[in-house]
Amino acid sequence: MSGWELFQLWVMAFGTIAIFSFLYGDNPFYKFAEHLFAGLTAGYYFGLYYDTVVVQQLWIPIVENSKWSLILPGIFGVSMFARLIPKYSWMARIGLAFVMGSTAGIFLMSELHGNVLGQMGGAMAIQNSGGAPNYLLTAIAAVGLICTLIYFYFSKEHTGVLGATANVGIWFIMISFGAHFGYTVMGRISLLIG
Amino acid sequence: MKIITFLSTLNRRWVYTLVWIAVIIPLLFPMSFKINTTPEVQSLYDAVENVPDSSTVLLTFDLWPNALAETEPMARTALHHLFRKNCNVVTLTTIPLGGPSVAERVTREVAALYDKKYGVDYVNLGYKPNYVSVLRGLATSIESIYPTDNSGTMLSQLPLMHTVKTYDQIAFIFIVADNGIVDNWVSIVNAQFGKKMCAAVTSVMAPKLYAYMGSGQLTGILGGMKGAAEYEQLVHKPGLATIGISIQSLVHFLIIALIGLGNLGFFLERRAKQKEARG
Amino acid sequence: MRTTLPLILAFISGIIMVVSFFINPEQKVLGDISQELLIWASIIGGFSFLLGAVSITRVNWRSYKTRRPGWGYNLVTIVGVFMMAIPALWPTSWLPESMASLAGRNAGSVYDWFFLYLATPMSQTMFAILAFYIATAAYRAFRARSSQATLLLITASIVMLWRVPMGEALLRVIYDGLPEIINTYIMAGINMSVQRGIIIGAALGAATFSLRILLGIERTYMGKG
Repeated sequence: MSGWELFQLWVMAFGTIAIFSFLYGDNPFYKFAEHLFAGLTAGYYFGLYYDTVVVQQLWIPIVENSKWSLILPGIFGVSMFARLIPKYSWMARIGLAFVMGSTAGIFLMSELHGNVLGQMGGAMAIQNSGGAPNYLLTAIAAVGLICTLIYFYFSKEHTGVLGATANVGIWFIMISFGAHFGYTVMGRISLLIG
Repeated sequence: MKIITFLSTLNRRWVYTLVWIAVIIPLLFPMSFKINTTPEVQSLYDAVENVPDSSTVLLTFDLWPNALAETEPMARTALHHLFRKNCNVVTLTTIPLGGPSVAERVTREVAALYDKKYGVDYVNLGYKPNYVSVLRGLATSIESIYPTDNSGTMLSQLPLMHTVKTYDQIAFIFIVADNGIVDNWVSIVNAQFGKKMCAAVTSVMAPKLYAYMGSGQLTGILGGMKGAAEYEQLVHKPGLATIGISIQSLVHFLIIALIGLGNLGFFLERRAKQKEARG
Repeated sequence: MRTTLPLILAFISGIIMVVSFFINPEQKVLGDISQELLIWASIIGGFSFLLGAVSITRVNWRSYKTRRPGWGYNLVTIVGVFMMAIPALWPTSWLPESMASLAGRNAGSVYDWFFLYLATPMSQTMFAILAFYIATAAYRAFRARSSQATLLLITASIVMLWRVPMGEALLRVIYDGLPEIINTYIMAGINMSVQRGIIIGAALGAATFSLRILLGIERTYMGKG
């Protein structure tokens, strides 16, 4: 192993051990590594967004492809920095309005079409397992879905039939969350092993 | 009782030590068990196999660097699978921290093994902000969202991107993610444009995706290190996931034992308190 | 005007995206306008992250200048920011040809080196220590206080066994088809139905929130004033 490779290994080891030291207790090494990480991340973002947005999405299309319409989002983007000056912070709202508005418009349709309709369509179909229709599975899926939706319906008090269905829903939810917890434990252990 | 006192006052550092031991023992004394393939992973493998050879596949690196232990083996195996089928691969990421760098490094490393040429056989588009705009905008024009690739080369200078203009020229989307972006790929891209896609996600995200698979919106799921190990086995490229899953077994047994031990202490303490209350 | 104009712009941009959902993306007028809007949203969104990076530097600089307790760590953060930002922004033409690859964001640059050898290991370790916290939580906090909690813990234990080869082999000793039953009826049955319910509920909530933004009822994104 060359001297440079050894140095790289020690740099990685320093960062790893400094963060692991938090397991014993908070200490200056951990605090140093934590703050350094925060700074590196902010610096990474700075370099990334300058290159991808300012250079690749603004400078190159405007200067090399004469796409002058992009000057306007550039101005709106720069106006976001007005947030740092309380007297002019209102100027940042215009750029934000474009982002929030267009994102909300896309989400409105995609959530209804993709998630609500998509999942409802899946719920109405016969579930397959092992390549063949499984009617028990379909029944479990249908009952589970209805009971879960009723459990999360809080506009009416959970009494009578509604309450009984919600109670069944809780049992289904506990099983699902138990499975989720098992997977989460697996995920965290995998990160440690990796 | 002594046992109740012991169980309720056990220092957390002893638990940490037990976890370290449970990780180190399988590293020193490797154990191997048969890895059975689950239907979700088999379905994912079959879906990728059914992609016509030499077609273009979009591989996303929607992952943060902290979950690389689970997601990098998935991405590597996917690249092996796709390059072996002579598929062209276009990579992109919607995650700013690390996604572009990881995509660049991993894709180049695997592509070199198959003598693939950058710009002809694979392209890394990199990252652009506001993932909603990116996912929706690629349907109309990839070049308008990504004027250049990750390193600043104009798309017009990359031969592969002469023929790949929108989702229409992409045969399949392979999502590798460690966050909820899969929901948006499904709801924005699959629902509106009907693109076939599969998802390779971390264990934390996997249970949710069974709903998408059940409704046919995803053709397959890889869930966590186990899913990655199964996929490596199917593609015949055993790697880090196959090694890691064997190590994981002992820790899982330890966690179950800790839950049992903790609850034993809880029940003993509760019974002792009830006895005391009765006098 | 300071509040009304952004609300009107949010409504117009949102409605364009809603209407474009129903039309062919290649349609000339509305298709071009909606695509242009998406590019604008991407560019402006990027500037908001730049603002975040500048903001964190500003906050730490203030703490350093006023010598608040722990100002040394604030200085470390600022050094970290410049360690990454300066090599990334340094023009390659300002360096001799042999050192040109050190500038910029490409593989082999200083920027990439700091990310690969410093930021990534620290990031991975931060999440790796969660494994220890899960173990302590499993011992101290996960109590079967009720029948429902007991069911949750039992399911978690079964799934944890099922997800590792050694555990799956143990389950097969009990009954050969047990792992398949767990996958089919717990994961692809009960879990799937609950997750489906949660997805539908969350999607309806997201759609409602989006509609509130479009109609100007939800204004929290605009901040104070």
